[in-house]
Amino acid sequence: MTNRAQGRGIVKGRVEGLALVCHKAFSFLGDVDMATGEIIAKGHEHEGETIAGKVMIYPETKGSSGGCVVLMSLAKVGKQPAAIILMKAADPNIVEGAILAGVALVCEPDMDLIRTVPNGVQISIDGTEGTAEWEGACVS
Amino acid sequence: MKLTDEEKRMLDGVYGDVVAQALDYLVQFGDAFGAERFVDVIYAHYPAEMAIYKGSVEDLVEYSETGARVRIPTTTSTLACDLDLWSNAGCPQAVYELQKQVVPAHRRMGILGTYTCTPQLIGFIPPKGSYIISVESSAIIYFNSVFGARTNRGGVFTRFSAVTGKYPLMGYLLDSNRKGTHLFRIELDSDDLVTDSDYSALGFHIGGIVGSEVPVIDKIGTPDQSNMLSLGAALATSGSVTLFHAPPYTAECKTVEEAFQDTKPKEEHVVRKTDLINAYEKLTNITPGSKIDFVTLGCPHYNLENLRYVAQWIREINAKFHPDVRVWICTNRQTRNAATWEGVTQTIEHAGGLVICDSCPVESHMRISTCKEYGMKTPQVDAMVTDSAKMARYVGDLIGCSTALRSRDECLRSAVTGKLV
Repeated sequence: MTNRAQGRGIVKGRVEGLALVCHKAFSFLGDVDMATGEIIAKGHEHEGETIAGKVMIYPETKGSSGGCVVLMSLAKVGKQPAAIILMKAADPNIVEGAILAGVALVCEPDMDLIRTVPNGVQISIDGTEGTAEWEGACVS
Repeated sequence: MKLTDEEKRMLDGVYGDVVAQALDYLVQFGDAFGAERFVDVIYAHYPAEMAIYKGSVEDLVEYSETGARVRIPTTTSTLACDLDLWSNAGCPQAVYELQKQVVPAHRRMGILGTYTCTPQLIGFIPPKGSYIISVESSAIIYFNSVFGARTNRGGVFTRFSAVTGKYPLMGYLLDSNRKGTHLFRIELDSDDLVTDSDYSALGFHIGGIVGSEVPVIDKIGTPDQSNMLSLGAALATSGSVTLFHAPPYTAECKTVEEAFQDTKPKEEHVVRKTDLINAYEKLTNITPGSKIDFVTLGCPHYNLENLRYVAQWIREINAKFHPDVRVWICTNRQTRNAATWEGVTQTIEHAGGLVICDSCPVESHMRISTCKEYGMKTPQVDAMVTDSAKMARYVGDLIGCSTALRSRDECLRSAVTGKLV
C-alpha cells in the first residue's frame, strides 16, 4: 500500500531518495563532514553513513547558525541530502540553508514519520505541496 | 507572498539577474514563514565573512564579481583579525592574507568596511519603528530594544536584503511579537548594579530563564549607553533574546503595563543579589590570586568613553601591565582613530596593551578550530579575565581557556598584577 503524510511545504523540490531516519535533533555544524557528507558525530545511530542524496527525517535542527553554511558547502560538492523532513517547525537558519542548497524541505507532518517510516525505504517528497509518500506497511 | 509591481519587476529581471535571484530567495523564505508581503528595509548590518570559516571569504569575493551592489546603507560585522595590527596580535599571515580580500569585495558592492559588532556606536542609529536587517546578536537586541527599530536575527540572507532593500514582514517586525512575555522585578541596592559587568551578569541571569522570549525588566537603576549594551549582549548570550523592554529606558514603552500590551506576564521573577552573584560565579572558574595570561575588554566593542576611562586609569597610577599578560581592548576602527587623536591609544599601548579593531579574541585565529587548521598549539590562552559575560561564555568552548567575569577596574588590576583579583 502507498502511505502518504501531509505536512507544511517549506522549500520547493520534487525528489525521491532513501529515508535516513534519525531519532535525535541534528546539527549540520559538527555532526557531518562538510567535504563528504558522512555523519561524523560520535555515537550517532548512523555514524559513518552518508547523508548525500538521502531523505533525512529527524525531529528538529539544533546547534549553531553556521549550519546553513555547512549545507551550502555540501551542495557545492554535490553531497547534500535530497530532502529534509522535520517533525517540528523549521528554524530560519535551516530554511536559508535548504533554499540555497536546493534541498526540498517539509516540516510538521500529520504523523510521526520517525516511528512510521522504515529507515532505508524509498520515499518521495514534494516540497511545495508538503507531502511524503512511500510504499509498504507502516512500522510502529 | 503578495508582491508589488516594483517587486514583480525585480523578480522579472528588470534590475538584473542578481536582484532577481536575491528576491526569489527572499520570496521562498517569506513563504516558508507565512509572510504576506515584503517591507522596505532602510539599513543592513551584514556578516563580514570571516577567514576562520572555510569558503566564506571566497564565496563573498565570487558574489561581489557578479555585479551585486547593495541598495541600502550597509555596514559590516567583525573579521578574524585586525587589518593593521594582525601581526602584533599573533595572527598567522595566511589568515590575514585571506581576510583582507573582503575589503575590495565589500567596496565593489558599496558596503562600508566598518568591521564591528557595534555599528550603532559609530552613527548607524535607525529611527524608531523603522525596518532594518542585522546580524550580530548584541547589535540586533540594541536596535530592537533601545532604539525601537525592528529586525529579526539575520543570517546569510541579510545579503539578499541588502541587494534588494526588502525583507518579509514576519517575526519581530510585527507588533504582536513585540509584547513582553516575562516580568523581572529587580530588587537590588543601587550599588549592586553599577558596572558594565553587573549589567552583564544581570542579562546573563535573565537570558537563561527567558530563552527566546521577550523579558520586561522593571527598575534597572540608571543605565548609561555602555550598561545597556552590556545588558543586551548578555541577554542574547545565555538566551536567544532578540528584544527586551526596560521602561522608561527602552524605546517602545513608558511603563511595564504598556510593555505587556494588555496581556498578563507568562511568568514573574524577582531578581536579587544572589542571582547576580551566581551569574558571576557561573562565568568564573579561575581562583582569585592565581595566574592569568589574558585580559579582554570591549565585548561588545568599546565606545570612546570606555577607552578614555582605561587611559585615565593607567595615567593615575602610571600603570604597566604584567609582561606575561596580553591585554586586548577591542573597539572599531572609527573609535580607535578618535582615541588616537585623544592620545588614549598611545597611553594604553605604552602600558603594554593593544587597542584592537575589526575583531576580538573569539572571532580570531585563537579559536581552537583555526589553530588546528594552521598547525598552532592550543589553547592560545590559559586564563582570561573579562568584563563581559558574552566573552566569558564563549571563550571557554571556542578558545579552551578558563575564565573570570570582573568589573573593568578589577580586570585592569588583574592585568597589572598578573593574578586574578
